[in-house]
Amino acid sequence: MKSKHLSIIAKKEFRGLFNERTILLAVLLQLFIAMFSSFLMVGLTSMYDPSSLSKYSRSGYNIAYAGNESQLLTHLRASPDFRVYQMDLSTAVTALEERKLAAVVYVPDTLPDAEEPVKITLYTLQNDLQTAIVEVKLRDIFLKYEQDLREIRADRLKEEFVQVQIPKTGSGGDFYEFVYGLLIPLLVFMPAIISAALVIDLITEEYQHETLETLVSTPVTFAEIVWGKVIACEVLVPIQAGAWLVLLMINGIAIRNAGLILLLVTVTSLILILLGTLTALHYRERTAAQFIFSTALVVVILLALALPSNPLNLLTRLAVGAVAGEQWIVLGITLVIVIVLGYLTHLYAVKIGKKHLTD
Amino acid sequence: MSTLTDIATVARWEVKKSFSMMSRDVLPVSILLFVLLVLVTGFSAQTGLHLQDGMYDVGVDDPQVAELLASDARFSVYQLDAPLLNANRNSFDIIIIRGTVYSSATDKAAAAQKTLERDYAKYVNSVYNSENDLFAAYPLWIDTQSVKSELTFLSTQSGQYVSAAPRRIAPVPEGEIKNIPTPSPTLAISQEELRQKLVQSNAKNSQISRYTEVLSTGGSSMGDFKTPSQLSPPLPFDSIILVFVFIFPLYFTSQFFMMSIMNERIERKGEILLSTPLRPSSIIFGKALPYFVGMVAICAALTVYIRASPVIILPLVPVIFFFLANALLIGMVSRSFKELSFLSIFFSTVATCYLFFPSIFANVHVISLISPLTLIVLTIQGSAWTITDYLYSTSLFWLTGAVLFYIAIRNFKDERLFSEKRLVSRIREFLSEILSQKYPFISLFLLSVFSIPFVFMVQMMCLVLFFNLPMPYSLVFLLLFSALIEELAKSAGIYTIYARDPPFLTWKNLLLACAATAIGFLVGEKLLLFATLAQISDSVFGSILFLSLGSLWLPLLLHFGCVLIVACCLKIWGRKGFFPGIGIAMVVHCLYNLYFILGWIG
Repeated sequence: MKSKHLSIIAKKEFRGLFNERTILLAVLLQLFIAMFSSFLMVGLTSMYDPSSLSKYSRSGYNIAYAGNESQLLTHLRASPDFRVYQMDLSTAVTALEERKLAAVVYVPDTLPDAEEPVKITLYTLQNDLQTAIVEVKLRDIFLKYEQDLREIRADRLKEEFVQVQIPKTGSGGDFYEFVYGLLIPLLVFMPAIISAALVIDLITEEYQHETLETLVSTPVTFAEIVWGKVIACEVLVPIQAGAWLVLLMINGIAIRNAGLILLLVTVTSLILILLGTLTALHYRERTAAQFIFSTALVVVILLALALPSNPLNLLTRLAVGAVAGEQWIVLGITLVIVIVLGYLTHLYAVKIGKKHLTD
Repeated sequence: MSTLTDIATVARWEVKKSFSMMSRDVLPVSILLFVLLVLVTGFSAQTGLHLQDGMYDVGVDDPQVAELLASDARFSVYQLDAPLLNANRNSFDIIIIRGTVYSSATDKAAAAQKTLERDYAKYVNSVYNSENDLFAAYPLWIDTQSVKSELTFLSTQSGQYVSAAPRRIAPVPEGEIKNIPTPSPTLAISQEELRQKLVQSNAKNSQISRYTEVLSTGGSSMGDFKTPSQLSPPLPFDSIILVFVFIFPLYFTSQFFMMSIMNERIERKGEILLSTPLRPSSIIFGKALPYFVGMVAICAALTVYIRASPVIILPLVPVIFFFLANALLIGMVSRSFKELSFLSIFFSTVATCYLFFPSIFANVHVISLISPLTLIVLTIQGSAWTITDYLYSTSLFWLTGAVLFYIAIRNFKDERLFSEKRLVSRIREFLSEILSQKYPFISLFLLSVFSIPFVFMVQMMCLVLFFNLPMPYSLVFLLLFSALIEELAKSAGIYTIYARDPPFLTWKNLLLACAATAIGFLVGEKLLLFATLAQISDSVFGSILFLSLGSLWLPLLLHFGCVLIVACCLKIWGRKGFFPGIGIAMVVHCLYNLYFILGWIG
């Protein structure tokens, strides 16, 4: 194995990628996803966290209260979010349909200490952005009322539980888990998956376009061809993953241990790339190789996720800074798997190479 | 009749060929992998997905609290003495001393506290669920009734919320007052049944079941009654699972179709097929048929598996059609496997976004209807949708799919299939093929009519993308992008004609070509607007996207003017004048929108 030959092959593949501008598509793809993830951040936060929409709700929502008077009416009146009108149910619902109200609450004449529960009917508008906000705000008031009723009926409750006092939460932190626990591992590992699919394309292409014979007739050995392609794909991983990290940081998402994350992704991606290489060497035809590989990929990823302290979990913990040395163990195990797979790939490539020479 | 026989013959060949390709122990390996997949899925369902394990560090002084927290893998729990905890406050996100929670002032701590809050609420509920007197533990029930309003999209999107300012006196409805029956004060359900359902809904706390909830009919098993804590807007990420369950296999199968087309092109293998007396359309439809049938079958199997209504298939058919059309074109334009991979990954990401993001808002907003997936979410939830809804969300898929198929059929011949050129020039060649030499103006007219569905689709994408930005930004972005997209679509035809035959574009022909394009664009726009998109077109966003329906000559003049700018730039500076031309046209378009529609200037 000569490093000069390896770099020749790797360079050839890079040239191909740049000539076809496929790399441009990959960059576009990443930008597109980044754009959408920022949409997710801004859009969903405002959609599901009503407090971030507070500028719209300063004036309060008009709601109607129908039926019997209760503690609920007092809570509603005390709330700055609502302006309550006591109305007849039919009039109120008609006004709601005309969008003159945001919601209608109907309270029956069930006594607070009755055997039965109090069943409130809530009328809201269907398919409306505002309804979602109103419901969240009403929920807090209903919870207060539920607590009142529970206290009234407290003598009927028997069970005891562990008491934990949680202070009132402010805004923020809503999408923390989504960003760090899903988005970041997904985005940073995507280059690994792309590269693994790429190595299959590069190898099967030589077979299907029948360019392999020409390559094998040069001083470059078959194993060197394979490893050159693996290197070309591997080099792309840290570049792309690094670009992701930078993009996320520009978006104001702080990421800890960026260097370690890159190292982890680079090492782990080799597992996928080598698996792809083995599949491609075996099938030598893109449809079959890609199909088998993608199915295997799902199996491998699911299995990895089912194991505690898997590389993806480690990535999440590295990003939030919740690691205490165990990253080196995981990295070590990953490295062992890589070495085993690499050795297998080499043996297989040498074996196939000999066969190609005799053919 | 003979066309049908031809299609059937090609379809049979295709099936036979793909099975012979699968010979090299693909089938046994894929069966093995499938078994492994089932095993691994079972294993991971049992152990849970360990993606977010140990994200938060929590210190507690009470073993009971520690036990409570340890049930959630997201917490790394450390049990220490209270003074020790206080001394090391900064190394924890949250500390709990004598039952009181103290959290640091970071985002991470806030997130940890929210998680803790949810876990604790679940714990409290589980205790309440075992109470003898269920109605003392849950004394309040809420029955949610949805009311349909006539004014839906218009009023909320133009930034007006229900009522401008609160008034002293109660609002009085203008229309006739409908009689609303007084709701019954009792729950029509026994305590024991209720307990079972409460336990069920409380058990749904693992990460996987959070996603699968949508698929089971369990959502409505509680009836419309909810306790206050269950009253919350629908979880936004639930539809992720729908995308994976329904769209992923479709994407997979269309890959095979893509590859089959590509294989015909490698080493001119498809020459034999082209030399038969079969027409290109028969070949293409014949090749596509097995994949279409396969995809519908997969969807049907999934529908049966999750025991959903077969109506789900209806919105999926146009999606399948659209996927196949794109797969066909991608298979025809890409030069190498790498390019094929990247194009298909790019396409599938964009398509998935288009399908997925609107459906997040399935229960919240009409805008969600632009994705056929929303219809699926609605069907699974048991809500009805109308034929209008169906047309509204699928018409763009039908139309664009049909146009792409047409382009592919016209280009399915030797010189296109076996040439290797750059992507952009290939696309230009493809367009050039459908622009007739003999009737250039009519073809330009038709081209711009049929570019409308694509323009709408991309603009819809922008609408989704910018919809939730704060109000002025969303408008500005939408303004710029929609202008850019429209100008690009309008000038594509003229650019193609210029690139094919520069001398053709004399000043007279240039004017005629611009007129044909402008009229075509206007006609297409109006046709599609009237057919489907009336709802969105009435809002402020709509007026930017699609121009007002009122006067016809103003938009015509705008289209004509903008195309003329690009065409003149092309004529004067050649191809390098194209992008400056687009830029100028975009500015003109934006100014027009600002002046006439929003009235912001003057």
